[in-house]
Amino acid sequence: MSGTRISATLVVNDDRTIACMACGHALGPAGEPWKKSARLDEGPMQGAGGAPYSNAERVLLRRFFCPGCGALLDTESALAGDPFLTDIVRV
Amino acid sequence: MDAITFSIIRHRLFRVIDEAVITLKHVSGSAITNEGHDLMVSLYRADGSLLMGGVGFLHHLTSAAEACKAVIRRFEGDIGEGDVFLTNCPYTAALHTSDIYLVAPIHHDGRLVAWSACFVHVYDIGAMVPGGFSPDSRDIFTEGFSSPGIKLVEGGTMRRDVMDTLLNMVRAPEMVALDLSSMIAANNVARERMGALIDKYGAEPVDEACAALVDQSETLFRKRLRELPDGRWEARQYFDIEDETCRVLLAMTKEGDELTFDFTGSSPQSHYGINCTYWASWGGFFAPLFPLLCYDITWNDGVLRPIKMIAPEGSVVNCTRPAPVSLATVGAIQSVNNAACTCIAKMLSASEKYAKEATAVWHGSHFAIFMFGLNQRRQEAIGILTETFGGAGGARTWADGIDVGGEIPNPIGRMANVETTEATFPVRYLFRRARPDTGGPGRWRGGNSIEFALVQHDSPEGGINYVVSGKGTEFSMSEGLGGGYAGAPCAYRWVHNNEAGEAGRNVNPFPTELDEMTGEAETISWGVFPLKGEDALYVRSDGGGGFGDPLEREPARVQADIESGMVSEGVAASVYGVVMANGAVDEDATRARREALRATRLATPMAAE
Amino acid sequence: MSQQGDARYVVATDVGGTCTDAVLFAAGEPVRLGKALSTPPDFADGVLAAVAAAAESIAIATDELLARTALFMHGSTVVDNALFTRSGARTGLITTEGFEDTLTMTRGAYGRWAGLTEDGIKHPVATDRAPPLVPGAHTRGVPERVDYKGAVLRELDEDAVRQAVRSLVDDDEVEALAVSFLWSFYNDSHERRVGELIREIAPGVYVTLSSEIAPVPGEYERASTTVINAYAGRIASDYITSLQALLRGRGYDGPLLVMQGYGGLLPAEEAAERAVGMLECGPAAGVIGSRHLGSLMEDEDIIACDMGGTTFKVGVIQGGTIDYAREPMVDRFHYVAPKIEVVSIGAGGGSIVSLDPATGVPGVGPASAGARPGPVCYGLGGNEPTLTDVMLLVGYMDPGTFLGGTITLDAERARQIFTEKVATPLGMSVEDAAIGIYRIAAAQITDLIHEITVERGLDPRDFVLHAFGGSCGLLCGVFGAELGVRRIVVPYTASVNAAFGLLSADIVHEYSVTKTLPAPSPAAEINEIYAPMLARAREQLASEGFADDAIALDWSVDLRYSRQVHEVTTPVAGGGPMDEDAVARLTADFEALYERKFGKGSAYRAAGTEMTMFRLTARGLVERPRVETAALNGADPEAALIGRRDVLVEAEGGLAPANIYDFERLVPGNVVAGPAVIHTPITTIVVQSGQSGRVDAYRNTIIERD
Ligand SMILES: [Zn+2]
Repeated sequence: MSGTRISATLVVNDDRTIACMACGHALGPAGEPWKKSARLDEGPMQGAGGAPYSNAERVLLRRFFCPGCGALLDTESALAGDPFLTDIVRV
Repeated sequence: MDAITFSIIRHRLFRVIDEAVITLKHVSGSAITNEGHDLMVSLYRADGSLLMGGVGFLHHLTSAAEACKAVIRRFEGDIGEGDVFLTNCPYTAALHTSDIYLVAPIHHDGRLVAWSACFVHVYDIGAMVPGGFSPDSRDIFTEGFSSPGIKLVEGGTMRRDVMDTLLNMVRAPEMVALDLSSMIAANNVARERMGALIDKYGAEPVDEACAALVDQSETLFRKRLRELPDGRWEARQYFDIEDETCRVLLAMTKEGDELTFDFTGSSPQSHYGINCTYWASWGGFFAPLFPLLCYDITWNDGVLRPIKMIAPEGSVVNCTRPAPVSLATVGAIQSVNNAACTCIAKMLSASEKYAKEATAVWHGSHFAIFMFGLNQRRQEAIGILTETFGGAGGARTWADGIDVGGEIPNPIGRMANVETTEATFPVRYLFRRARPDTGGPGRWRGGNSIEFALVQHDSPEGGINYVVSGKGTEFSMSEGLGGGYAGAPCAYRWVHNNEAGEAGRNVNPFPTELDEMTGEAETISWGVFPLKGEDALYVRSDGGGGFGDPLEREPARVQADIESGMVSEGVAASVYGVVMANGAVDEDATRARREALRATRLATPMAAE
Repeated sequence: MSQQGDARYVVATDVGGTCTDAVLFAAGEPVRLGKALSTPPDFADGVLAAVAAAAESIAIATDELLARTALFMHGSTVVDNALFTRSGARTGLITTEGFEDTLTMTRGAYGRWAGLTEDGIKHPVATDRAPPLVPGAHTRGVPERVDYKGAVLRELDEDAVRQAVRSLVDDDEVEALAVSFLWSFYNDSHERRVGELIREIAPGVYVTLSSEIAPVPGEYERASTTVINAYAGRIASDYITSLQALLRGRGYDGPLLVMQGYGGLLPAEEAAERAVGMLECGPAAGVIGSRHLGSLMEDEDIIACDMGGTTFKVGVIQGGTIDYAREPMVDRFHYVAPKIEVVSIGAGGGSIVSLDPATGVPGVGPASAGARPGPVCYGLGGNEPTLTDVMLLVGYMDPGTFLGGTITLDAERARQIFTEKVATPLGMSVEDAAIGIYRIAAAQITDLIHEITVERGLDPRDFVLHAFGGSCGLLCGVFGAELGVRRIVVPYTASVNAAFGLLSADIVHEYSVTKTLPAPSPAAEINEIYAPMLARAREQLASEGFADDAIALDWSVDLRYSRQVHEVTTPVAGGGPMDEDAVARLTADFEALYERKFGKGSAYRAAGTEMTMFRLTARGLVERPRVETAALNGADPEAALIGRRDVLVEAEGGLAPANIYDFERLVPGNVVAGPAVIHTPITTIVVQSGQSGRVDAYRNTIIERD
């Protein structure tokens, strides 16, 4: 995959778009928040990784997926209503 | 300065610290100093700036610099050869009152040329609760003795009145005296060895080498920063204390060769002693920054120069006096560590060259169980359960996190043997092991954490007390990276076997799992509790964060994890999409399952909706 | 053990990682040396080759020498090698249920950082544990529990044991089993029963019990030791048995004595059961040899240095006693066994000189060019400048006479590579750069030795420095002077340090009982602890043929201040059995030792003092001929002067003319005034200005300040 790496899962292409490192699916313009362009599963953290996650009753696990290939691009833990974490890389 | 002399002087400066650390451990003789390595010795330049930091609890490298600077300001004109100053005021420099700094000027030919500073977590500080961690304190005034600066040794002579006053305010004064003696001895060794170095090479060349060393670190660090992409990365940490939920928000901005850590938006200061003072937060992000970004650069003031911090006054990361802070080191400072680790790791993983240096969060909660009471030999026993130093490694971009693999801010911690703890405290372990499924799932999984359970054993008082300092039970503090899940949260359970026994049920004396215990397991997270009769305490620490998409994990690795008992078959199927049949990976079923899981992902809504 | 018939030679062989050394001597004859390359994994070939080399020096055949040998002493790196190459047995572990992860958890981060350099520790993201010798899947927990007093809280579940053994042997196909239960050093009944059951169910499996191999507190280190012994057990016993058979076949019918890491010998049959005892026995033998040499020269306080191709090793002898390592490691595995403490850094002749790519700051090691390709000047393809090349550039080595002229050194190439990779980037002349690197190496060694003495509460100025190894003589004049040692001894046997040490070792059995008693306690109670150890020791030594007058029994006790972690092994002055005065004296001696080691004011008496371990060192004194001394001649070394050339003279700050001597032509009594260089067939000794080098009656070179 060509392009300049901006995270473990994303690149910025020559056309200045952010893209999935795995499949090249575009996720909006470089230098802008990309998460809105991803698919999101927001479910309870409780049990998300198995039995030891049983205490995590209130917190949510946000999983952002590539709409092109379904790759898991990023995760966040969040209380309901807290904004997405925004990472901007300038390349 | 020629490169040869520089090389020799640099090597000697490291040895100065090593020898001072050896001395500190020797004289102190305490378990927390010797086993937990909860100590630090560093050298500072004449202006109090960090010259060379040793390997110890890294939060302290910068805070001790502030201690030096505070002493320089406060005692200007009254700093003499052979003096040793004490400060443990969290609003001046220290992290909490239990961490006492002793700083000592180093003179040569009557001129002040450098400072040495060290810290240990003293045995007691006269706070509400023995040992200093005081969940019930609501202000600094109930957290024990606190000094913004006092001269303990004058011209090589101990100020008896000062020492006696200090010792009059603490439990077990002999133990605290030994802690203080060990630090005085360490400072003495640092002074002698610096003196010998200067005698051999001359004051000017040594000072020149020190300046060059600091400049070199700055040059190298700025060069590294320029190699990394510009950007702004965010991290968020939650923690729950009783009725409060706190947030630590961090936005780290990197521009050119400068870094800014901005904590704007973090929660107002807490009623509980988990708050950080300004300098605690400052030290809190340097603790991961040194080993993650400067692993091959000398840790000194040069690394500090390109860094700025914004921490709102009155917040949990910059509390206002007299907010309580006795649990800062196991409280908000850990969240600062973790948030900084996450932001730095995100920046590293945005670089082809440095992605291999990125890591998910290690041992985010830094859980601490502090015990106090009479032991089986009727001696007073106060101390931390060292399982906290067991930790759990965060996943790397190229390898799994290390099960029970420690933590980043204390590079050489270790936990005591079960036999050591059973000989020190009147307790018996029911089990102690790595807990499967606690490491955050990912292409590389987070390291699993430790779980253990204790009952009292042979206690002359029928039991002992323990302090639980919460946080990390409701929230996963070890965040994942690049799609990896956060590690599992902590769990503390008070198992009420006494009640079960009274109700006529047979109490299982040898359970090897939480589920095998007879009594009701009550979730606890904050306060002082008894461990009496047949009641048990169950503790599980948090797992390390994972890295990458769990569906990308090689099935063979998942199988190996199942075989070694580190991942359950259930999680293998539900999270990793790996289906086992007859002890081996069912390739077809796995492919189908992973495809199905991906299809489910593609059926989720767009985040914007 | 006495000599029989005309068998009068004593032969010692030490198998090291690179070379196998042999030393032999007999009454009325000088010490002879032999050297050969080590031959892993069939180390015995190298042993015979080294013996043959030594035999050649007295012009007899190997078989004849062996037929005339009364004692054959042996040290070997075979167990270390088994671990480094991971060639041991497929091993399983049986432990207390609920604590199955003790070994793999390595006390948390401890197993991740222990054994790393400081640079490695500061880079945690790049660190990992070594893969365990027993994977988690080959560990079985069985129900049983003993408490901190040794009381059984839960009986051993024998059915569970049987099941565990069967599944480990049948399903996991293990060939060796380690058994390590909590608190088994206080109560070994459960472990012993498991041992019986294993022998019953799976008689072919090699078994090690923790209560036998390491009866000491600390379940992680104890389990690790047990596993190492089980893992390497068969290799060690096969090795010793086959060496014994080989020697028998070549005409030797005396005992084979095997070196242990604590510096004593064990008869072959016993050593074969204690693989872990052989770990690091070479360096231990070196320190024992140093102590022996010191006793011949009436020095009791010695810093023993050994600098070879890749490492610089230091051991400390104080008042004739040697400290044991507190936390020994092999590869990156912890073990607990009495082992002479030898500290090492990666600084040897083959250490590579390089500039930090980021800063341009020069450094020496820890990377090494090893024996192959070796230093540039050897002309074996080495392309990285090494410390040995630097020695050549500062004039200390003579291209023509190196190793007795067997290798001609390529000075031109060394100079060219050094210029290119070091001097030019530093912007310095070749000479200045080489002198600078030499000083960096000397400073690193000075700092290491200083730190080690601080660790023990000692002052190097009270010590004599022994300089062993091929490279030590080149540097000792400089770092010895900076440390301010009383004098420096470059032993005649400098190049066969470990083998020489074997010659002076006795048969030693170490016994210990772990038990906590307040100090002082009634003498009768202490004597009672010793009674079974004494009985075992006497019986053992008697069975090895030692008469009562050839037995020495040394008592020592580990003491500590209650609630303090530091324990100090304190000798019982005057030996046992003890009376009340002796107990009082023991406590007083502990206090003095503690203050000396840990500093003034470090004692914390308020909580009392306690004894934690009772040790018995039982020695069978091996009869051996005395090393012959030579008559002393006049001081004038003129006859050995072979030239004069420019070499680094530290006091001059650069190269200056110095006399060059041939060691083979120096005779005892000769005194060489510095600056001077003495070439021996194996090494080079540099005497700095302001120093003189004297050849003594044992042909040691003694360097002293003028
Ligand atoms: Zn994609």
